[in-house]
Amino acid sequence: MMSWDFLWRHTGRAVIFVTLCGLTFVVCFPLVWALSTSLKPKTEIFATPPTLIPKAPTFENYAALVTGRQQYFQSGGQQVDTGATPAQFFTRWFLNSLVVTLGSTLISIVVSTLAAYSLTRFRYWGRTFVPYFSLLGYMVPSIIFVFPLFLMMVRLELTDTLLSLVLGYVSITLPFCMWLMWAFMRSIPIEIEEAALVDGATRMQVFRDVVLPTALPGIIAAAIFAMIVSWNDYLFGRVFLNSLDNLTLTVGVMLFFEGTHVDWGLLMAACVLMTVPMAFLFMGLQRHLVAGFGAGAVKG
Amino acid sequence: MEVSLEAINKSFGSVRVLKDVSLHFPSRKFVTLLGPSGCGKTTLLRMIAGLETVDSGLIRFGDKVVNQLAPRDRNIAMVFQSYALYPQMSVRQNLAYGLRVRGTPKAARAEAVERVARILEIENLLERRPAQLSGGQRQRVALGRAMVRKPDIFLMDEPLSNLDARLRITMRAELRRFHLDLGATTVYVTHDQLEAMTMSDHVAVMNSGMVQQFGTPAEVYGRPANLFVAGFIGSPPMNLMPGRIEAENGVPVFANEQSRVPLRHLTQRLQVGQHVVLGARPQDLHLASSTDEASAHGRVWVVELVGSEKLVDIDLGGKRRIAVQVRADAHVREDDPVHVRIDPAQVHVFDASTERRVFEAA
Repeated sequence: MMSWDFLWRHTGRAVIFVTLCGLTFVVCFPLVWALSTSLKPKTEIFATPPTLIPKAPTFENYAALVTGRQQYFQSGGQQVDTGATPAQFFTRWFLNSLVVTLGSTLISIVVSTLAAYSLTRFRYWGRTFVPYFSLLGYMVPSIIFVFPLFLMMVRLELTDTLLSLVLGYVSITLPFCMWLMWAFMRSIPIEIEEAALVDGATRMQVFRDVVLPTALPGIIAAAIFAMIVSWNDYLFGRVFLNSLDNLTLTVGVMLFFEGTHVDWGLLMAACVLMTVPMAFLFMGLQRHLVAGFGAGAVKG
Repeated sequence: MEVSLEAINKSFGSVRVLKDVSLHFPSRKFVTLLGPSGCGKTTLLRMIAGLETVDSGLIRFGDKVVNQLAPRDRNIAMVFQSYALYPQMSVRQNLAYGLRVRGTPKAARAEAVERVARILEIENLLERRPAQLSGGQRQRVALGRAMVRKPDIFLMDEPLSNLDARLRITMRAELRRFHLDLGATTVYVTHDQLEAMTMSDHVAVMNSGMVQQFGTPAEVYGRPANLFVAGFIGSPPMNLMPGRIEAENGVPVFANEQSRVPLRHLTQRLQVGQHVVLGARPQDLHLASSTDEASAHGRVWVVELVGSEKLVDIDLGGKRRIAVQVRADAHVREDDPVHVRIDPAQVHVFDASTERRVFEAA
C-alpha cells in the first residue's frame, strides 16, 4: 500500500511536470507553427484540417528571401503591384540589423566595461550614485526617449542612417550594461589585481590579463542583453529610418503585411530567419554565463 | 635589502590608522608586524608594497626613497591573505605571470617555474586551475608566485590564517625555511602571536596605529615595554594586578589587598605611593606549601588541564583572580585553599598612569 507521503510527493512532481509542459507548449507553439508554415507550399498553408508537419516541405520561401526573387511574390494566382517587394530587400535588411546590433553592442560593452571598472576601482565624486541613476534611465519607457533623440538626430543630420540607430540603441542599452558590469566588477576581488600590480603588470596589463578574463561572464551577459534589445527593437527603427534600403529586419518585415495580399509562408520564413541568430547566440553563450565565475580566486 | 620607515602617517577619512610609525627592518631578516585587527599592520604592509599611498613620512629600501614608486618598480613580492590567484590561469601561468609581464624569455620562465614547483612540491598541479586546488595547495601556489621572481623584499599578509590548525604548524616551519633559503628581507603580518614568536627575527608589536615595541621575540616576551605588550604577548595571558608601592625597611613593596611583593631590584626606580601594575606570567608563579614564603593567598576557582600542564585559576577575593600554571600531575582541586609564591625577579612592573614598564637600573 502506498503511503500518503509517497503519493503526495509523486503527485507534487506530476503537477509540476504538467505545468511546465503546458508553459513550454505555450511558449514554443508559435515558433513551431511559424517554422511549420514557412516550410509549406502555398496550397497547404490554408488547408483544412491544418497540418503541423508539412506534407510536401519546401524551401521555396527561404530561397525567395535569400535570393530576393521578385516574381515569387507575384506568383500564387494573384497579381500584386509590381516594383519593389519586401522579399527583394530581405538580405539587405538582415545585413542592416546585423551591422546595427553589432555596432551598438560593441560600443555599449566597451564603454560600460571601462566605466564600471573606473566606478569600482577609483575614488572620485559621484561614483556611488552614478550606477543607480543609470538604472533609473532604463526604467523610463523608451517611447519617451525616442522623439527627443529623433530631434537630436535631425540636428546632427543623421536621420535615416544606420549610425543614428546605433547611437539610439547605445543610449538605451549602455546604462543597463554599465549597471550590470558595475555590479559584476564589484564582486571581483581587488586582491587579484593588486597581486598582478605587485607581480609587475601595468594598469592596462592588469585590465587585459586579469580583469577582463574574470569579468567575461558579466560581459557576455551584458552583450546578450544589448544584442537582444537592438535586434528586436521596432520603435527606434520605425522612427529613425525611412528609405527601404536602410530599414532593419523588424521594421522591414512589417512591410510584408502591406497591401491586400499577405504571403504567410514568406512572412513566417522571415520570422524564422530573424529568430535563428539570436537563438543560436544564446544557446552558444549561455554556458559562459555561469561557468567558472571567479571560482578559486580567493580563500578556500 | 633593508627597509626603513620614517614617521609614517596615514588617515582614512577622519580615522588616523598610522601615527608616526618609525621602524627599521635589517636586511635579510624575518620581521613580523603583530597586533590585533585594526591596528594598522596591514595598511603598513600595503604601503611598503606600494598599494597604499603615504600621507607623510618616508619609506626607504636601502638608501632609496620609494614613496613614489609603483609596486612593479619596487622588486617586491607579496602573498595575500586570500592568496589572490588569477582564477582563469593555470597554476603554471599563475607562477609565470610576473616573469611574463617583465619580459623574461620563455625558456627562462619555464625553468624558473619548474624550479619553484619542485621546491614547493607542486609539480603535479601545474596544469590545474586555482578552483581545483585545496587551501594548502593554493597557499603554496601563492608562495611560489612570490618566490619565482627572486624579490628583494618578501611581504606576507596573514598567509596562514585560512589554513586549518595542523597545516598552519607545518607551514610555519616551511615559511621560516623558505625565508632562510631565499635570502630576502621578509615582512610578515599576523595577529597570531605564536606565529610571530616562532618565525621571526624581530617583532613589531602594534596597537591603534602605533608601534608599541620593536625587538626580538625573546625581548618582547621577556621584557614587555608596556601594559599592552604585556597583555597581548604570551599564552595564557600574563596576570596583571593593580596596586601601590609601599616602603618596608627601605625596600619598595608592591601591595594591594590580596598580595605583597618586595621589589628590591627596583629600589631606585619606584617611589612610595606610586600606582603601579604588577605583571606575572602564569608560568612564573608557583603554588607554595606554607604561608610564610607566599605572597598571595586564595582558593582554587577552576582547574583546566592543558596537555602537560594544568592551569589553575585562583580566586584571591575581592573579585580578583590570577592564573598559575603547574605540572599536570600536581594535586590541585577546586575550592582548595592555596598559597601563591610570586618570585620578585620574575615580575614585570608598569607605571599605572603611563602604562610603561619600570625598567631595572642599567
